[in-house]
Amino acid sequence: MSIELLLYSVNKPVLAMDKFEKQKYIMSLMNNKTIREEFKEQLSSPAGASDISIVEKKYNDLLKKSKYLESIYKFQSSIIHNLSSALIVIDLDGNITFSNRAAQELLKYAHDELNSISLKELFADESEGANFTELLTVYGKKFKNKECLFVDKEGKQVQIGLTTANFVDDYNGYEGRIILFKDLTEVKQLKKQIERMDRLALLGELSAGIAHEIRNPLAGIKAAAQILDESIGEDTNNKILLQRIIKEIDKSNKLLKEFFKFARPSRPKLEFVDIETLIDGLFLLINPRIKKQNVVTEINYEENLPKAYIDETQIEQVMLNILLNALDAMPEGGKLSISVNKHELEPFEANEIIEKTFNQQTLYYVSIMISDTGVGIKQDHLDKIFDPFFTTKADGLGLGLSICSRLLEENLGKIDASSDESGTTFTLMLPCFYHN
Amino acid sequence: MDLTKKLLIVDDEETIRFSLSQAFITAAEEYEVSVASDALQALEKLKKYDYDLVITDIMMPGMDGFELIKKLKQYKPDIPVIVITAYGDEEKEQRSKKLGVVEYIEKPFDIHSIREKVFRLLKK
Repeated sequence: MSIELLLYSVNKPVLAMDKFEKQKYIMSLMNNKTIREEFKEQLSSPAGASDISIVEKKYNDLLKKSKYLESIYKFQSSIIHNLSSALIVIDLDGNITFSNRAAQELLKYAHDELNSISLKELFADESEGANFTELLTVYGKKFKNKECLFVDKEGKQVQIGLTTANFVDDYNGYEGRIILFKDLTEVKQLKKQIERMDRLALLGELSAGIAHEIRNPLAGIKAAAQILDESIGEDTNNKILLQRIIKEIDKSNKLLKEFFKFARPSRPKLEFVDIETLIDGLFLLINPRIKKQNVVTEINYEENLPKAYIDETQIEQVMLNILLNALDAMPEGGKLSISVNKHELEPFEANEIIEKTFNQQTLYYVSIMISDTGVGIKQDHLDKIFDPFFTTKADGLGLGLSICSRLLEENLGKIDASSDESGTTFTLMLPCFYHN
Repeated sequence: MDLTKKLLIVDDEETIRFSLSQAFITAAEEYEVSVASDALQALEKLKKYDYDLVITDIMMPGMDGFELIKKLKQYKPDIPVIVITAYGDEEKEQRSKKLGVVEYIEKPFDIHSIREKVFRLLKK
């Protein structure tokens, strides 16, 4: 083989690879008439003399360029695989041909496992998946921020938001669609929380106005009824009626007061509070009932618990409410367990307010799990127990747990409940800071 | 010596003015009760007459109860002031205390308790 041919065969592929056209180049080399002519020209040129140093130089250049290309490939590949968004590519038959690491992790598939299934199988509703795939592949429709319900390998539904792009690879003669998607579960939860806070703020404003409008006439009625009551002789029917009016006014006012606690809780006075001391104090209060109802108690504290940064009175009120509910659920005895642990705060959970207040400190939550062995809460009630005015108790206002949830929000904490026929567990998450 | 105590009740709600006046008129002790439906009217009366105690609402159209108390305390710093309010608000309570308010009472009030408080304050 002449040196030109050698140089040609070394030089051309590098240029071709530089443009990511390696395959096209090989194809065209085989078929293209112009290139075949080019070959012939180079072979017959006077520079065709053998020169080993030129070969070596070209070889080194090729090696350098090949390494450079490899580094670009690795760089781009690592970008795709380290994207926080999930990315999959499908062919025009709707089969997945590529997936990045985020897609595999989000949908709980092992490496390359996703590549053996079709897009429609990712949808919780397969017929929706089939329609979507058809619109995407046959009609080339593009989607932006579309919300869908995917299902992961374990069968769990995942709320996602996706955006698509058409993908054409001329060199490989390949056409497909790129689907970029993200788990929206948390975004949805945050959105819901923000909407709830907005609603509560509005409710707070409204309730202040309502308070004025209702309590003023109540005050007038009560004062008038009390004055009449004084002027009326004992044991008359009218006196009973007047006292009933006064009692009903007091009852209405109590309801209003409870409602305001929910709608406009007072601003928490945050301070460092020792949880063990707080729980001990509460048990002093409820011990007589615990004994009376034959309830067994068990309390476990993790070692080296940090102090919680909360309003002591408000959290005391919340815990007392939950403890009393637990005792209500076990009139014939049972077991009341409390477990207190610390958890490091996930970065996405770090509340902006806490971050601003305690810049750079390690943030923790202290979780307090309060479990009873009572009858449990029905599953369809479980979603509603923190809603105002939801109650299953005949004499309840339905504000206790909604106030608890509101107070936890005000204290930058969280409250959750789980329940089955073996009992109920309430988990309180309270913000803490580790003292170094 | 006239033992009748003079009270001024300030509230924009007619029902409150009437019922509270009645509560003191019918009380065992002797009271002379005046009423004002807003802060400006109250200030005018306070300039003209001597009162032993003022009971005022906070949220009133125009000048509110806080402003009224501030102005009143400028020239009558020792006059006891009771606040009656439909807003059970900690912040307002603190603000009232800072202005020298002796009692902060939420509506609907109990006339026996309010009479007792007034009696005790005027006995001092």
